[in-house]
Amino acid sequence: MPTCCFKSSFICAALLLSLVVTQAGLAADVPAADRPIHEVIDHFVDGRIERLNVESAKQADDLTFVRRVTLDLAGRIPTTAEVRGYVDSSDGEKKDSTIDRLLASPDFAYHQRNELDAVLMLGMGTTNEWRQYLLEAVRENRPWKQMFREMMLGREDDPTHKTALSFLKVRAGSVDDMTNDSSRIFFGVAINCAKCHDHPLVLDWQQDHYFGFTSFFSRTYLTKKGTLAEKHGGEVKFKTTEGKEKQAKFMFLTGATIEEPPVERSADQRKKDDAEVKLQMKDEKAPAPKAPTFSPRSEFVKLAMADSDAPFLARSIINRTWARLMGQGLVHPLDQMHSENPPSHPKLLDWLTRDLLSHNYDLRRLVRGIVLSNAYARSSRWEGEGEPPLAELFAVAIVRPLTPEQYALSLHVATSNPENFPLDVSSEDWAKRRESMENGARGFASKIERPSEHFLVSVDEALLFSNNEQIERDFLRDSGDRLIGSLKTIENRQQMIETAFWAVNSRPPAAEEAAAMDAYLSARKERADEALKQLVWSMITGPELRFNY
Amino acid sequence: MPKNNQNFCGSPEHGVSRRGFLGAATAASAATFAADMTVLDALKNPVLAGELKKQQKHVIVLWLAGGASQLETWDPKPGRPTGGPFRPIQTSVSGIEISELLPKMAARMGDTAIIRSLNTRIGDHGGGSRLMSLGRRPDPVVNLPEMGAVVARELGRADSQVPDFVTFYSSTEGRGNAVGMPGFLGARYAPMFLTENSVPNNLRAQKTITEVDHQDRAALRQLLAQRFSRGRNSGIVASHNSAYQRVRGLMASEKLFDVAQEPAAVRATYGPTQFGEQCLIARRLIEAGVPFVKVGRAWWDSHGQNFETHQELCADLDHSMATLLDDLKQRGLLENTLVLTMAEFGRTPNINGSLGRDHFANAWSVSLSGCGIKGGSVYGKTDENGNTVADGQIDAPDLFATIYKALGIDHEKHYQIGARPIPLVDFGAKVVKEVLA
Repeated sequence: MPTCCFKSSFICAALLLSLVVTQAGLAADVPAADRPIHEVIDHFVDGRIERLNVESAKQADDLTFVRRVTLDLAGRIPTTAEVRGYVDSSDGEKKDSTIDRLLASPDFAYHQRNELDAVLMLGMGTTNEWRQYLLEAVRENRPWKQMFREMMLGREDDPTHKTALSFLKVRAGSVDDMTNDSSRIFFGVAINCAKCHDHPLVLDWQQDHYFGFTSFFSRTYLTKKGTLAEKHGGEVKFKTTEGKEKQAKFMFLTGATIEEPPVERSADQRKKDDAEVKLQMKDEKAPAPKAPTFSPRSEFVKLAMADSDAPFLARSIINRTWARLMGQGLVHPLDQMHSENPPSHPKLLDWLTRDLLSHNYDLRRLVRGIVLSNAYARSSRWEGEGEPPLAELFAVAIVRPLTPEQYALSLHVATSNPENFPLDVSSEDWAKRRESMENGARGFASKIERPSEHFLVSVDEALLFSNNEQIERDFLRDSGDRLIGSLKTIENRQQMIETAFWAVNSRPPAAEEAAAMDAYLSARKERADEALKQLVWSMITGPELRFNY
Repeated sequence: MPKNNQNFCGSPEHGVSRRGFLGAATAASAATFAADMTVLDALKNPVLAGELKKQQKHVIVLWLAGGASQLETWDPKPGRPTGGPFRPIQTSVSGIEISELLPKMAARMGDTAIIRSLNTRIGDHGGGSRLMSLGRRPDPVVNLPEMGAVVARELGRADSQVPDFVTFYSSTEGRGNAVGMPGFLGARYAPMFLTENSVPNNLRAQKTITEVDHQDRAALRQLLAQRFSRGRNSGIVASHNSAYQRVRGLMASEKLFDVAQEPAAVRATYGPTQFGEQCLIARRLIEAGVPFVKVGRAWWDSHGQNFETHQELCADLDHSMATLLDDLKQRGLLENTLVLTMAEFGRTPNINGSLGRDHFANAWSVSLSGCGIKGGSVYGKTDENGNTVADGQIDAPDLFATIYKALGIDHEKHYQIGARPIPLVDFGAKVVKEVLA
């Protein structure tokens, strides 16, 4: 192993212990299970803010809120009509009804699909079939637990399941990749750190864990046909730090193990098995391989699904969903879920876990609960005294960079003629429209870096926006269906500037902004067309479109 | 990788740092990385740029893509069955001999050190290239940054008007092995990549906009951005603004990539080869303050016809490198510029049936010249046929520790990724002090 991850080597040792402790602590002073999620979130988040005697930012205004929640649920900025509709409404229930409208809209499925695709595939080997699989799963709000099962154990003779297996197929070339990515993505545990470390107290135990986890995947391989198969036998052996050779047990993160039923396999049978695997990996026309009687991957799924006192699968997806909507996980970083790195709000995470388990891993319900909370709806602007409070208090909303897909789609919405987006579009029509917007946005999205934990905007992005002809071609054309085309038809300049602001920044301009824009155009009367393009350029390259604030 | 494991796992100094991060984690784990991100501080307050950054140290890597033969360059084996047809020549430093294919470098050994004892073990192009760019094996969880990104981060200035990491990709190299790897340092430290031509993409404005308008619309953008940033003291938002603020400066640096700006006499000394021209551009970039430039020369992968291949490529290397060192020296830049020759690996001492040499990572050589280097020194030794390291064996992490040390960068420093400290080089890596001034 190249670099040290000493801290993470505590994962396994202390994890069970910590989970047991926090679970046991759930009973006392914890909101009842039937309280709405958002109330429980605010109970814990506000509670901590008050206990620490920290000031928090006020709730964001309607303009900011509707932009934020549309980006988070629909994966794009709201249209002018959507923003105006929201701020002009005097309906006391408008927040709830808007959230529910967005969650039910075709947009939500697309956005949720894009987010899951990014998390699961990490940018490698995504295919249209795989994206379609995710889209269908999200559309029917398939429980996360079931999706996990499909990704791990999908059957090759079932078209849906077969596609779900892509998660493993793109990693099948490396047992380490299957092991590390499964552990990290589904359970929030960077297990690889236990590959070579000595635990200071429990020697070898981590290695048992790492190689235990590995052994669930070590028999999995990809046939020449591209199907996923499992070998009939084969053990994982490793050298302990004391140099002893040891055979790994089938061991899950909880420490739970599975024994393989003893089978007598003659040397001859072994040879045949090996030959079969070789054939499968070489010959596209080989008949489908026979499934083994003992499947380590099935055992793995059983152990992962056993809702013990360590529901890794649930805790990790809650943490990831929270981080996506709130800018930082309850446990941060996302793949360091262990006792040495406790959650910022442990009881909240426990409560949410219980809720997710008792509602059949319903992710839409979780998302809805989070965006309904006051914690989600705070202003991202710190107007208090001194430095803003720590991010992990969620006392001020965290400014989040858009994903490449969000940015590309938002640029498209922002630079379209606003009248192209009336409110009264049928869901079917909008679904079609969204599908084509998605396809149209992918090319540009591929040019934008996907934000990760330590993301900083690169100068390449600024150079791309400043000088690449694609920006002009995609976003600054003046045909009738584009923003600039529509601005040209507006005679009153103030009105024109306002229209541009609503379209790009989802708000009316402030007086000084309108004045600056006006001055810019006035100084360029003899090249008004160019000036208008430049004006829109200055808005679409601004931080206001680049971030979800 | 047992050797490395023993070097850092469970070592006593490890225990000390462990307490360090436990403490950090209980405080504000959220802020741990940010606290170390000097760039963020620098973005907020450019005056804070470190001492190191003011000294303006630089690196030029001459990347011998495909793997140059150590026997035909820095470690000849005359009279041995593995030695091949070329003879060694005496260099300007008594006692050091290199291949006769590098006569100009032989005359300039005084500024160059050779390490002949690299055993990096990875013998495929992709793996070797990653190893020699990252200075260690890739990590399955954390994307590690390559040397160029680390140097850009450590020696570059956040508000720099020039690029801080430039890579010339040479077309035969194979794109897959030549991608930039800024890793967790992020795209801010990704290389400016030169692909088909010698001028980077998007540095020149579209013809449809005038110079003045290009500048004014950026100012208008800036006005809107300032309003947005009020009360939003975020490193990410700051990086967005700083990226746009660097655009004009970078556009102005386009002329750095234009060799036509050099006097004809200077161009003539570098010669007409692409490699020579790129070395000249590298010097221009360094002179303008760019911390890291990598120039690739391909394709050394001589599985057949090893000797003809090296006759041709070494001539180009010898001339371009010698000219570059002379030029840097003349301008007083060599003492602050480290020039390296590196590759994925070396080549087998055994000569195969096609008169070629194959991939070989067990005993090969690199050279280091200029900044912080003890010129005229040789470290390490291979056996008489060159099959194994006989003395002073080092691995990539040791080489990288040495390089950072030569530049004055603390190689024991960590980046903090959440709860996990990521050192600049692997724990236990040893600096080769013998080649340092």
